[in-house]
Amino acid sequence: MRSNELDDILREALRQEVAERSSALAGLQEHVVAELGDRRPRLRLSDWFRQLVAPSRGGRIGQVCVVGGTAAVCLLFGFFVATRLAPDPGAPALRLSPSRNPDGTQEVVFVLPALNATNVSVVGTFNSWEPTALSDEDQDGIWMASIPLPPGRYEYAFVIDGRWWGQDPLADEYVRSFGEYSSVRYVGRGGDGA
Amino acid sequence: MIGSRIRGGALLCTLFLVGTGLLAAAEIALSDFARAIQSIPVSDIQRVLTAIESGLAQEDFPAPQTLQWIERLAASPFSAQEKESLLLHTVIALENGLPVDGLVTKGLEGLARAVGAPKIEQSLKQRLILLGETRDLLIAKGIFSVAPGSPQAVATALPTPRFNLLVTHISGTVADYLEGGGSPFEGETLYREVRSRLLSLEGAILVPEDVDLALKRIEPADLTRMALCAVT
Repeated sequence: MRSNELDDILREALRQEVAERSSALAGLQEHVVAELGDRRPRLRLSDWFRQLVAPSRGGRIGQVCVVGGTAAVCLLFGFFVATRLAPDPGAPALRLSPSRNPDGTQEVVFVLPALNATNVSVVGTFNSWEPTALSDEDQDGIWMASIPLPPGRYEYAFVIDGRWWGQDPLADEYVRSFGEYSSVRYVGRGGDGA
Repeated sequence: MIGSRIRGGALLCTLFLVGTGLLAAAEIALSDFARAIQSIPVSDIQRVLTAIESGLAQEDFPAPQTLQWIERLAASPFSAQEKESLLLHTVIALENGLPVDGLVTKGLEGLARAVGAPKIEQSLKQRLILLGETRDLLIAKGIFSVAPGSPQAVATALPTPRFNLLVTHISGTVADYLEGGGSPFEGETLYREVRSRLLSLEGAILVPEDVDLALKRIEPADLTRMALCAVT
């Protein structure tokens, strides 16, 4: 018997076998899925924790350590910042919002961070360009002065150890004057400027 | 007890000194100006004094700042000729009834920045031209000034201090724009700058109706023409 004939006989036998059992295969997929659904285990909290700390889940332990460590650092940093920024009951409050005085002037706060400076002042149209000193009482490098000004437009610049600095980040606008920048504050319009 | 008396005495002394200082500041007389001008000195002191006398009669004349300007100018290292030339811009403005705030503060700034006399003069000259041009422009647009207290016949007749504030801030904006390197041909940009400044001061020192009036009547082309007058 040649091999081709043998293959044909086997193929025919298999076809007959499948045809006979095809009725039994109907609905097999739905049946298997239903069986698995009933047997699916419920994950409880203890199981979840066991999975998390199981030796085979070493990667998850690392994740937990990283997340936990980050949270702890954030908490510590937040606590540090809160203690630094909390108002000292004995210290004067820093008022960046305008406060109107009885004489119609507004307290305008000039603030400048100048860490290594020894002398900082502000000059402008409100003091005829004569220096008004800023102070840094707590030596943190933040220099500040509060000047009562009537409503209007004021050009000014800071003088840091003799050098003029005309670009105050808190300014409303800037102008070029004699080739240098001057800052501008508007006082008395809609609450800004002070 | 003694401590509280000392504190009370110190407070009274402080109040007395502050009060005296305020009175002294409020009572700047022509003689103070004469003394300061003599130390420049100027070639025609009478002309300067007459101009300042007319200024002192104005309600909004910045007497303390003008006196400071003259005193610091006298103490500056410039030659007498340069000092007189710088002072002359203020004198001409006063002679023409123009507000001098912008000129005085710019002069003081120039001295504080220790820039050369020619630079200060150039800035003052430009600002003086713009003051006159702005005043003329407003009048041409039907906005003019009346003496304070006079009956305001029409809405476009503003009391002099209000009119002068418009002149100061419109001309000042154009001057700042030009000094910052802006082109006089950019009429629309100039107009936006003027509008922005007037609106920023609206309700603070400028009367909203005055701002509205000026912004409605002034056109970008007017500002271009003004700016060209100042740079040519």
